[in-house]
Amino acid sequence: MSEVISTSDARPWTDPNAVPFLQIKNVTKKFGAFTSVYDVSLDIYKGEIFCLLGGSGCGKSTLLRMLSGFEGLTSGQIIIDGQDQAGIPPYNRPTNMMFQTYALFPHMTVEKNIAYGLKRDGLPRAEIATRVTDILSLVQMEGFATRKPHQLSGGQRQRVALARSLVKKPKLLLLDEPLGALDKKLREETQFELIKIQESLGVTFVVVTHDQEEAMTLSSRIGVMTAGEIVQVGTPREIYEYPRNRFVADFIGSVNIFEGRIAEDGESHVIVASPEAGLDIYVPHSISGVIGQKVAVAVRPEKVVISKDDLGDLRNKLIGTVDEIAYMGDASVYQIRLDNGKRVRVTQTNLTRSEESTLNYGDRVNLGWDGSAGVVVTS
Amino acid sequence: MSSLPLGIRIGAILGRMGLRGRTLVIAIPTVWLLIFFLIPFLVVAKISFSVAAIARPPYLPIVEWVDGFFRINLNFGNYLFLLEDPLYVAAYLGSVKIAGISTLIALVIGYPMAYLIARSEPDRRNLLLMLVVLPFWTSFLLRVYAWIGFLKSNGVINNFLMSIGIIDEPLVMLQTDFAVYVGIVYTYLPFMILPLYANLVKLDEAYLEASADLGARPITTFFTVTMPLSLSGIIAGCMLVFIPAVGEFVIPALLGGPDTLMIGQVLWNEFFSNRDWPIASAVAIVMLFVLVIPIMLLRWAQKEKPNET
Ligand SMILES: Nc1ncnc2c1ncn2[C@@H]1O[C@H](COP(=O)(O)OP(=O)(O)OP(=O)(O)O)[C@@H](O)[C@H]1O
Ligand SMILES: [Mg+2]
Repeated sequence: MSEVISTSDARPWTDPNAVPFLQIKNVTKKFGAFTSVYDVSLDIYKGEIFCLLGGSGCGKSTLLRMLSGFEGLTSGQIIIDGQDQAGIPPYNRPTNMMFQTYALFPHMTVEKNIAYGLKRDGLPRAEIATRVTDILSLVQMEGFATRKPHQLSGGQRQRVALARSLVKKPKLLLLDEPLGALDKKLREETQFELIKIQESLGVTFVVVTHDQEEAMTLSSRIGVMTAGEIVQVGTPREIYEYPRNRFVADFIGSVNIFEGRIAEDGESHVIVASPEAGLDIYVPHSISGVIGQKVAVAVRPEKVVISKDDLGDLRNKLIGTVDEIAYMGDASVYQIRLDNGKRVRVTQTNLTRSEESTLNYGDRVNLGWDGSAGVVVTS
Repeated sequence: MSSLPLGIRIGAILGRMGLRGRTLVIAIPTVWLLIFFLIPFLVVAKISFSVAAIARPPYLPIVEWVDGFFRINLNFGNYLFLLEDPLYVAAYLGSVKIAGISTLIALVIGYPMAYLIARSEPDRRNLLLMLVVLPFWTSFLLRVYAWIGFLKSNGVINNFLMSIGIIDEPLVMLQTDFAVYVGIVYTYLPFMILPLYANLVKLDEAYLEASADLGARPITTFFTVTMPLSLSGIIAGCMLVFIPAVGEFVIPALLGGPDTLMIGQVLWNEFFSNRDWPIASAVAIVMLFVLVIPIMLLRWAQKEKPNET
């Protein structure tokens, strides 16, 4: 998983004096008796690309729609650039949104769709024309200016929708699943373009996605949502390496979870006694808890090493049998069955081009992970 | 074979005759139009080229067999007469004017109603649509008569206005063009609302949101997005009001004044009072063309559109 940080020293959320550009304060949205977004509070700073990541139906779109003014708040407050947005209609907000369904005007050509917002601002014709041309070349749609939306493929429509939201260079850009319909290569290119746009225009982005890899690549920070609530906010690295709970650990990348109880709470570590792993797991810098408290330890598959040989002085060591091997090209994924039946997922980078893997089905192997690899998560 | 259901057996028989599925579906309305539209049209067209006579039927035949000659007597005089007498041209223009203005009024009243119904809660829509078509449950004639009661000088409206002191003398509303507009708009409003509703209910709210998001106020959104996207509904509604309104004769006869000139009344008079069937037929045929030509132009214009891109 790659991680692009736009400017290495731009971490305004660590600065207690920084003023957030977008403040979402205790926002709740109910549809009848159903709570779609519950008590969400977020501070997003100028120039961030903030990703809202979460499964289908967790309230991501609803939150964006409240930011752009299409849904009222049941309670809470939204402040953009110091201005409370309560009562401000969508057409007066400093935001532009790329809709999940694109919502391209079917009776207008690509060109007219993109020019629509600029016309509303009363820009001179010549400037509109150049900006439309520029943005079309940015999304690689130069040849399609005079087509109507129904004459485009899904991915092309998505690019037009993206262009239409970008062209006004709003202070706050809201993208709802902006790259879902693009092929991998174009998606990566566009992600890169988005980061470039962000750097050159200083626009603040809130991007909704359920693709964790995209969130990792794009964002300065990620907010993980489930069932209408934000469960964790952090940089991609923080979210990946220190997931706060099981849901986050599971949602971002794959993970091995070992249930257990806290057996020892030391100065710089905890020991979790895990019958599931058949091991007392050593975990550093973790949350402190009471002895005997039920917790789980999350270990990323790529942090587990396997070998037929002895693993030396690794902190956490186990023995198991190779159950499954999946060759993925750059890496291989192994499923190792422990003697108590628990299966452990291990990813190993394929460093050499050997015809045969050194490990085979049914092999007895040693596996283990470094003391720093595990992280305690609550359920 | 005999064990098969009747429907399938009929289907098989029709199939052997080369009539299956699609063909059949198209064939039924085609036959319907042929019997109930084309043949009457040809009959009327024939009469319009004949000479009036005191006979039964009241015109001379246009094909004759006389002394071994097969003679076709085509009389264009009826059509020439329509041009000669300014009454007819005035009546045509009057009809088109009254129908056109009524259509516009119906559009202005009907569009917001259709829009509101389409934007209301789904389970309330049916109720509102019911209310729109409810008047159809009473006779059209009765409803027009009822307007007389409203509009006449000692009618409901005048009595009410005088009782609250807004006017001292009754307004003359009945037997004016105003009453005709009221009658036509009232009668044909559902024909405007229904196609508009059918169109607007399909309009995706996301387009309106996108427009607002890009900085358009509601009024701009209406003219740049809502209206263009509902154009086919507007055209359908206007056609459904304009076409029958041009030929309308009951409403001008009951509510209109002596100077309200509409071609439907002229036709009625020629046919029933003057018993001049050929002239009446010529009036009808010309009216048909007055109506058909704009429709053809419209269809042609709509066909051209997709090619513009
Ligand atoms: N207008 C509405 N009325 C009632 N419920 C709604 C409405 N809009 C959204 N919801 C509900 O709110 C929840 C969140 O919806 P939302 O569209 O925000 O999900 P999402 O996170 O964007 O999902 P996806 O990734 O599938 O787009 C869903 O359970 C949805 O059914
Ligand atoms: Mg969504």
